[in-house]
This record gives sequence, structure tokens and C-alpha cells, in this order.
Amino acid sequence: MSQGPGGEAGFPALTGAAAAEPVTRRRRGSLGTRVFRALSPYLLLAPAALVIGAVLAYPVYFLIRLSLQRFGLAELVTKKGTWIGIDNFTRLFHDEQFWAVVLRTFVFTAVTVGLTMIFGTLIALLLARLGTFMRVLLSAGLILVWATPVVVAVNIFRWMVDFEFGVLNWTLTRLHLGDFLNKDWFADPTTGFAVITAVVVWGSIPFVAITIFAGLSQVPAELVEAAEIDGARRWQIFRDLTFPLLLPIFVILTSLSIIWDFQVFNQVWLMRDGEPEEDYWLMSVYSFVEAFRLGEYGFGAAIAVVMVSFMLLATFVYLRQMIRIGEAR
Amino acid sequence: MKRRSIGALALAAALLVTAVAASTGTSSPDRAAATKITVWLQNDAESGWKEVVTSTNAAFQARHRDVDVDVQYQSWGDHLTKFDAALAGGTAPDVIELGNTETTRYMAGRLLQDLTTQKGSFPNSKTWLKALTESCTYNGRLYCVPYYAGARAVIYRKDQYRAAGIKGTPKTLAQFEAAGRKLMKKYGKQRNYSALYFPGRYIWAGMSFVYDYGGSIAVKKNGRWQGNLNSPQSIQGLTKLKQIVRALSRANKTGDEANPQQSLVFSKGRVGSFIGNGWEWPYALDKKVGNPSLANKMGAYPMPSHTPGKFMPAFLGGSDLAVPVTSRNKSLAYDWIRTFTSTQSMRGLATIGKQIPNTTSLANVNAKNPQLAPFANASKYSFFVPTAPNWVKVENARVLQNLLQSIITGRSSVKAAADRASGQITRILNAPTT
Repeated sequence: MSQGPGGEAGFPALTGAAAAEPVTRRRRGSLGTRVFRALSPYLLLAPAALVIGAVLAYPVYFLIRLSLQRFGLAELVTKKGTWIGIDNFTRLFHDEQFWAVVLRTFVFTAVTVGLTMIFGTLIALLLARLGTFMRVLLSAGLILVWATPVVVAVNIFRWMVDFEFGVLNWTLTRLHLGDFLNKDWFADPTTGFAVITAVVVWGSIPFVAITIFAGLSQVPAELVEAAEIDGARRWQIFRDLTFPLLLPIFVILTSLSIIWDFQVFNQVWLMRDGEPEEDYWLMSVYSFVEAFRLGEYGFGAAIAVVMVSFMLLATFVYLRQMIRIGEAR
Repeated sequence: MKRRSIGALALAAALLVTAVAASTGTSSPDRAAATKITVWLQNDAESGWKEVVTSTNAAFQARHRDVDVDVQYQSWGDHLTKFDAALAGGTAPDVIELGNTETTRYMAGRLLQDLTTQKGSFPNSKTWLKALTESCTYNGRLYCVPYYAGARAVIYRKDQYRAAGIKGTPKTLAQFEAAGRKLMKKYGKQRNYSALYFPGRYIWAGMSFVYDYGGSIAVKKNGRWQGNLNSPQSIQGLTKLKQIVRALSRANKTGDEANPQQSLVFSKGRVGSFIGNGWEWPYALDKKVGNPSLANKMGAYPMPSHTPGKFMPAFLGGSDLAVPVTSRNKSLAYDWIRTFTSTQSMRGLATIGKQIPNTTSLANVNAKNPQLAPFANASKYSFFVPTAPNWVKVENARVLQNLLQSIITGRSSVKAAADRASGQITRILNAPTT
């Protein structure tokens, strides 16, 4: 058990080194005491387990059950689905559109995660070199971005890229980069996704930047100094010293980002006014449209199940890293 | 952690909302044991004829003193998603307005109360508009009450037409296009000006072009539906639509006619004409959101066909009122509908809301009014969507919207987009009804 602070996605590898394993002495107690001792961990775990069961296990069970049923509007009202085995999945895997959506979701995730990590790291490195005043200013900016609700952020971006009144088209035209007046960014899904990617990346950078910055501040200054004396360049220091030291943090941040960006829904949905064109469907949108627009709740659930399975892979990497850190202590 | 705390916050908020809802549900301070009926109307009623709703509630409550009426205005974009969820959760309204293209699925699913035996108790039921009554009938049983009908016509700026040298109103599609080009020549330097304001996802006006050239959305052959938007006639219509919209409109190619409300865009002055419903005329003149100074500068005429002497077939839109089977106050719900569709209310709907009322007995109200006649005329040539139980899924999947958008933005060729949409329609309409 880790004793250090930040048992979650903190920096246990660096902070927990000093934590000593408490020495427990075996002492014989009465039977009652021993039973209590044996049971108490479970008693302490029970509330958390109960909550997890209620908010996670039951919905997942229900989702899987739903995915094996034909469940439409009529079933919704009678509250009884028809058991059809894996028909929903068979249909799904033979659906060309599904594979297009899966591919699009993977590409979208890769691009957003990549950009988030790159920009997050760059901003973290910048934070580390700034003077106090500018650092506070930049951190405040990051926190504000972090605190902006998605709905607000999407609306701001929508206004900025509005085809008629948007500041982006105006600026680009003023810069003589071409005639962007009345350019509709969403007419072509590539530029449309560029806007959506921008909102998502913009919103995820603060967490990554601040976390990496916190990690950077733990890198021993002597090591950097020694490397500098040995003639290492900045890029070499980052590549051969900082990055390997912070690797666990990068792994955790990347897997968390994958989990988050893989299930992006709000940004697409709000950006396209609640009726995204098929070119904009990610897995989450596809599942929602099938379930709630077309009333195919069973089929929608099947898509969601596939999505959850994909996500488990990313979670696995994350958990493995967490456990490794735990063992390293 | 950010997302985790957001999750927790959302959960807390959800609990809070439930708690608040629960507490408001149980304790209404004024009327202790009041019964409440919930009515879902579309927001057209709110912007077009709210007075009629207010007076209906007053008349209804004069008869039922202890009954509260909670009218909740919904938007077309998501009201069915909400309705489906409410049906499942047992919180569906007692009265719901359904578009006449949306009823079939709910009738087929037996989710609306059968009104066949009490048809006679509803006002004017003998003279209800035939098209609307049909949209309420499934396998010979009646499941809803006609509410109003509407056909779209061209609403235009008389002063701009005059200034551009257009004499009279266009009588053929070619004249319409020529007039539009004159307007663009005169006003097109204003960069947001549209001779015809036509958003890229405006399907109800767009499909008129398809039907004008003899095309259709789908046809039934040997008991099977077949998407027909890729037939040569349909493609001809879609091609003409693309050409006209790209030449005359600078509206959002990836938006629709409701966001922003096209009549409000019109009221801002940079639109020569748009294709709209009767109620959109007075809405453009609204004191708060519109521009009352346009009162004497507006006119309307039916959209001309490419065939001289005819009008372009208008989508015969309309709404019906139904009582979901889950309602616990059915007889009150029926009575509210009776009040809302009384002759007096219907006259208000025609004069205030500029709609075609549900009964032919009031037809002369429209015919005599110069502001209403063009819309009534437009409905002489009309088309309707395929009457398949699954039709509403085509609407919910936004198949037609996506088709028009990809044609008008030029993202795909007319043929490719039409083939694709047609295939989707065939698949959806023939799928087992759920």
C-alpha cells in the first residue's frame, strides 16, 4: 500500500520515496479482536465497493443485457426487451458505416492525444523557464481554460469560426491569406474536425501541462547541471534525462488522454447543433443517434459495449503503470 | 482530477435537480390538491399564436377550477427524443403536438390513445381537413386530432423587388430566377445579402423542387418501399435547387431555417425573399425580436413551378394533437384539446397565427385575407412524405438534411448524394418497425 500523498495520478514515484513501511508487530488478541481485525478492511472497503457497484457495475451489466436484446420504442414503454443473442453485434460488424466510424474515432483520438501531449509538454517546459510573474500569469490562464465548461467553450469556438460573423474568417482575410469571407468551416469534415480538435485539445492542455510541470519541478537540478557541464544540449537533456525520469507520468497522461478523447461526444454534438452529419460521427455519437434518435436502444447499446471494450485496453495500460509504480516502492 | 470532479459535480447537480423537482412536485403552495395536466406544444405556438394558448387555458380553467395546465414549448429538433424518454420514464405529457409526418410510428406502436369512438365529441370533426385526418388515422382507427396545416410560400420585400426593376411577382421558376439575379445585381454588394435566403439543410422547401420535376422521396412497389431521390426526375429537381441556391443565397450552407429563425434574418434587411410559413410573416414584424417598420413592405406569393401556370408543390405540413396512452388524466386531456380546437380558437389560429385551421368551415377566413391567401393558394399543389411507420426515422436520422447539405456545399455530386440518401431511405423504411 502506498503511503505517500497523491495515490492517484500524482507523482508517487518521486514523492513516495521517503515513505517508510510501518512496522506492525504480531500480537495475540482475543478471538473477537482477531475477527474484527480480519473483517475491518472489508468493512472499510464496503461503502466504496457499494458505490462503485451502484454507479458502475450495474449500468455496465444493464448495458450488456440491453445489447443482447431487441429493444425499440414499443419495448421501451412495456419495459421488456426481446432476447436476440448476438444479432446486434453481427449486424454491427457487417455494417460498413460502423467500421468507418471506428477508423474515424481512432484517427481523431490519435490526433487529439498527440497534439495534447506535444503542446502540453511544450507549455510545461515553458512554465519551468518563466519568471515568477509570467509563470503565475500563464498558470492562471491555464486554470481558466480548465475551468471553462465545455458548452461555453464550444459556443465561443463556434462564434469564432462562424461563416458570417466569425473573427477567424475576418482575421485570415485581413492577413491576406486568401478570401475567407463566408467560408464555412463545417462544409468539409476535414476543416470541421480541425475546429473540433482545436476545442478538445485546448480544453485538455491545462491538465497535461500542469501535471508535467509539477513533474519537471521534481527533476533534481544537480542532474541537469551535471548534464549541462558535460555539454549536453537542451534537446539532449530533455530526451535523455527529463523524459526518461518522467516517463511514468507521460504514460499515465497519455492513457488518460486516450480514455477521454476516445469518448468525445459533447464537442461534436454541440458544434453541429445536435444533428451532426454522418461525416462527423464518432463512436459515441453513432451510439447515441442509433439509440435515441432511431429508437434502436439494443443496437445502440451494442455499439457502446464495443466502445467500452476498446477503452478497457487503454485502461489496462493505465492500471498496469499504476500498479508498477506501487510495486516500485 | 478534472474529469472525475466534473463527473462528481454532474452527479451532485443531477441529484440536486431531482431533489428540487421532487420537492416542487409535491408542494405547490397555492393549490394544495391541484391536478395538473401537462401539454407539449411546439415553439411555433409560442412565437406565432400564444394568445390562443392563453385564452384556451383560461376557458379550460373556467370549467376545471382545480386543474393546472402546464404548457411546455418544445423544439422540433429534439422533442421526439424527449418524448420517447418521457414515455419510458412514465413522465410523458397528457397532450402532445406531433407533426403530421411524425404520427405514424406512434400510432403503429399503439402509444397514442384511440379516439375513434369519441371522434364526434371534438369540435368540427365532420369538416376536419382531409390530409390531417389521414395523418391521424392508422388501420381505420383515429389516434389524434388535427390541429393546423400550413403550406409555405415565398415571402418577399416589395420595395426591394420594385427597386430592382421586377414587375409583378414571378409566374414561372425561370422568372423567379431572373428576378433573383436582378436583386443580386442591385444589392449583392452587401456581402451577407441573399436574394433568396435558403439555408443548406432546409428540406421542406428543398423537396418541393424534387416533386416539381416529377420526382419523389420514395415509392411503394409490391409492398416494399423504394427510395426514389436518385430517379432522373428527382435528380433534375435537386440539380435545379443547387443551381438556384448557389446563385441566389448566402445563407449558412450547413445550417437550417430555424437556427437562426429565417424570418428574423429577413427582418434585419439583407434578404430579398425566403420560403416560409404563414406565421413567419407576422414574426418578422415582432416588436421585440423583429422589425415592425417592414409592415408595408412585405408580400407573399406561391413559389412558381417550372411548368408555366402552376405552383411548385408545397409540403403540406401540419400538426396534430394526441393523448399518449400513459396519461393519467385522459378525460381532462380530451377536454383541453376540445377547447384548443374549438371554432373560436381555430379562428384565432387563422387570424393571429396565419395558419390554415383544422376545419374547412373556416376556409373563407384565409381566402379573404391578402396576407393568408398566398399560403392557402400554395397548398393547392402539395406533396406529402411517404406514409410508412418508419418514416420518422428518416427524419430523425436527418437523411434529407444531409443530402441537401452535401449537394449545396458541393461536397458530393448530386448523383452520388442522391444515390446514398436513396439507399438509406430504402433501408430505413423497410426495416422491421421498432
